[in-house]
Amino acid sequence: MNTTTFTGAVRVTFIVAVFTVVQQTVMIDLRIGGIHPDILVVLPIVAGVAGGPSRGATMGFWVGLVADLFLPTPFGLSALVGTIIGFTTGLGTLALDRTAKWLTVVAALVASACYEVLYGALGSVLGQPQMLHVDFPLIVVVVGVVNAIVALLALRMVVWALPEGSTERMPLSGMSLGPTR
Amino acid sequence: MAPARRSRRPRTTLLLLVLASVAIITLDARGGFNRIASGARSAASDVFSPIRSGVDGLIEPAGNFLAGAVNYGAVRQQNEKLQAEIGRLHQEQAASGDTEQALRQLSALLHLPFVGNLQTVPAEVTDYGTSNFAATIDIDVGRDQGVQLGMPVVGSGGLVGQIVQANHSTSTVRLITDGQSAVGVRYGPAGSLALLSGQGIGRPLTADLIPANTSLKKGEVFTTSGLQGAVFPGGIPVARVVTSGTSAAGIQETVRLEPLADLGNLRYVSVLLWGPGT
Repeated sequence: MNTTTFTGAVRVTFIVAVFTVVQQTVMIDLRIGGIHPDILVVLPIVAGVAGGPSRGATMGFWVGLVADLFLPTPFGLSALVGTIIGFTTGLGTLALDRTAKWLTVVAALVASACYEVLYGALGSVLGQPQMLHVDFPLIVVVVGVVNAIVALLALRMVVWALPEGSTERMPLSGMSLGPTR
Repeated sequence: MAPARRSRRPRTTLLLLVLASVAIITLDARGGFNRIASGARSAASDVFSPIRSGVDGLIEPAGNFLAGAVNYGAVRQQNEKLQAEIGRLHQEQAASGDTEQALRQLSALLHLPFVGNLQTVPAEVTDYGTSNFAATIDIDVGRDQGVQLGMPVVGSGGLVGQIVQANHSTSTVRLITDGQSAVGVRYGPAGSLALLSGQGIGRPLTADLIPANTSLKKGEVFTTSGLQGAVFPGGIPVARVVTSGTSAAGIQETVRLEPLADLGNLRYVSVLLWGPGT
């Protein structure tokens, strides 16, 4: 089963709370060229790597809703983009050796970049054209690099929170995800 | 059969979550969700403000170190400028303590000539925007101090923006440079009307409704129009002309303006306790 247990839900809530606090206190002030990192984005990505498309999408939706509470952009936009990116990351890494550390780092880098571009593009479609008038290369680099750095830590935390294996037929050998069913 | 169910499940999850997200976005955009979304944002901010303050106090030294490390070049340049400034300040024998500087800024805010008889609430800027995609600032006053949605915010140079989220003790201000911002203005000796629009963080404002070949001088100041129903009171300086010109086939003057308030270095602002019709 791919069911999230009560303990798992509590642990995920704790992780999301920790990442939100770090984002809203440390990361918000850590500006490079006026751009700040966005470490909440890394959670659906590593959930996708560790647990597959469903878990990536589910994590992306809930983390996105939390992020939307603190953003002046349309409510639900982060949830939509998080869902898509979490799912796509899970799907894109299905056939790969997920025990390799580089995979998580590269997935965080690439998927974070895709997240930011998709966020701006969808925001523009939803009546916020100014969301395309930003320094995309810098945003992509800052968010991507910082998320690549924190990806392995985030992966450990997500695996701790959701130790049950996925049913989505992924190669799990060597990864501490618990028993597959 | 079982493998087929397994392969469908992720797609079903995706579909359901995407539909839920789109439903939330649609409800928010159509206003049906505004009170819930605004209430949730307000509650989150109210809960989070003390946590943010506490954690800020604990990690500020480390955060400053990291910020200094990643902004080394800018810090070095700024340091050189400050070194020159120190010499001048010594000659003036002015009290250059941080608190006194802050007091001077606050004092200037309390005597803004364009505010007139309007009641104001001074506020400190606590954060520069929570999103890389919107030009906003967070300030340390909210509904408890009489701040309400839509109220204008001014700085020592002129108009800063408008309250877009009012929580109990904090608020979010959308800057006039944000792409969602539009300000009705007057310009020229006849007080002609125009509309200034934000173009995004760090970008100049643009003006609409200015006829082609209108004579505009560089540095000319545009002020809020104060028309009936306007979202800002009249007479507040907004921006000065940087460039203007008309293209060959243009029916409008192409005008770029820079905000008069220093939006990149705001420390204190004033919220005008004013709403349309007051």
